[in-house]
Amino acid sequence: MQDRPRADELAEAVREFFESEILPTIDDPRIRFRALVAANGLGILEREIAFGTPLVRREVGALMRLLGHADAVPEDFDELRRRATDLNRELVLLIRAGDMPDGTLAHLLATVADKLRVASPRYLERYR
Amino acid sequence: MTTDRAEDLSRELRERLVPLFGADIAIERLALLAGGASKEAWALDLRTPQGTEQLLVRRAEGGVIHQQTLSLEHEYRVLQVAYAAGVRAPRPYGYLGEIAGRPAFVSERVPGETIGRRIVQRPELAAARAALPAQMAEELAKIHAIPADRLPFLEAGGPRDVLVRLEDELDAIDEPHPAIELGLAWAKRRTPERSDVVLLHGDLRVGNLAVTEAGLGHVLDWEFAHLGDPTEDVAWPLVRAWRFGVDQLRLGGLGDVEPYLERYNALSGRHISLASINYWEIVGNLKWAIGALTQARRHLSGQQRSVELAVIGRLAAEMEFELLHLLERAG
Repeated sequence: MQDRPRADELAEAVREFFESEILPTIDDPRIRFRALVAANGLGILEREIAFGTPLVRREVGALMRLLGHADAVPEDFDELRRRATDLNRELVLLIRAGDMPDGTLAHLLATVADKLRVASPRYLERYR
Repeated sequence: MTTDRAEDLSRELRERLVPLFGADIAIERLALLAGGASKEAWALDLRTPQGTEQLLVRRAEGGVIHQQTLSLEHEYRVLQVAYAAGVRAPRPYGYLGEIAGRPAFVSERVPGETIGRRIVQRPELAAARAALPAQMAEELAKIHAIPADRLPFLEAGGPRDVLVRLEDELDAIDEPHPAIELGLAWAKRRTPERSDVVLLHGDLRVGNLAVTEAGLGHVLDWEFAHLGDPTEDVAWPLVRAWRFGVDQLRLGGLGDVEPYLERYNALSGRHISLASINYWEIVGNLKWAIGALTQARRHLSGQQRSVELAVIGRLAAEMEFELLHLLERAG
């Protein structure tokens, strides 16, 4: 167990340094734009570390229900990610075959909303 | 580092400019501009016996967003043909061949705002926003009237070919994306049977226009020009990503679709329907979702390491979310 700051708090500290001390010193508009994008990337990292894992667990659970799988949701995170990829691949094949399960659209709306909670929460909030 | 590159570039550039502007020229300024994920743009002030010319050098950067991207040489030829046909495009001066190892061309450097967020939000551009929808319709009608045989290197393709290409690009990403698949499956079932095939700009939207207080100054960035259904071009600026936060105004954060579509139909003599616009708006979101994932692969594969390209990969979820809502409404 590492001491505090946790990984998300450390990413936050780096982003804050970047935004308050580095960004104001950059004049080149090209570098400035990339620095803003990089700060946004650190924000994504903070949120993924803070609450990314339960969202993947939720996605795997929802995919298993949608596709009719009854086995257990893996505990190990790498295993969980592999399972998410495999289940999404299975869903993709069904969609391509014109044989997607009922509830696919609602499932995808919820899953993509969860991706946005990490990748772009402001987009999700203002979406109407 | 930028200064060294500018000096290298400057020497070769001057040699290539002599046949176009004569030997009595001097480069007064050469500076790399912001923007452009796949091309460099250099502001060039060139002293000539007639005075100083404000020029733009567009140069390849080593990567492409879509497989269909034109080479710099072909992009230059499209620009020439469009300019000659009276489209408000920057005046092309010459294709330069390779400059320090990468192809480039030189055109007029036009004034105006190009940053989408500013165009849709800045108070001093309110009159421009009111004028832009009709002006965009006018430029599209002019582009779509250019005889395609003037650009024989462009491959003809119909609505079905667009979906085949998108599916190929999605397969190349090698990561399952069920939301995008759902959109592709929807579009395949509703592909238009018949369509005109005309010259398309391929990326005409807020962000690729030079906008002055009077509205549309020039149409920029011709690298995605291709042949296809005119509705593909007409619907492209509606895609939510090109509303730059002013999401309630469906046409590029500027206004409603109907007056723009009426203007286009009146000028082109076509009868594009709102239903057809809705179809191509969904295809547009598919295209940009897959484009974002493809850009991230340029970074991940090492083809072009860039934090910008890396982060774009995560933003594909925004297009997926919009796509799913459009599918829900379309039924």
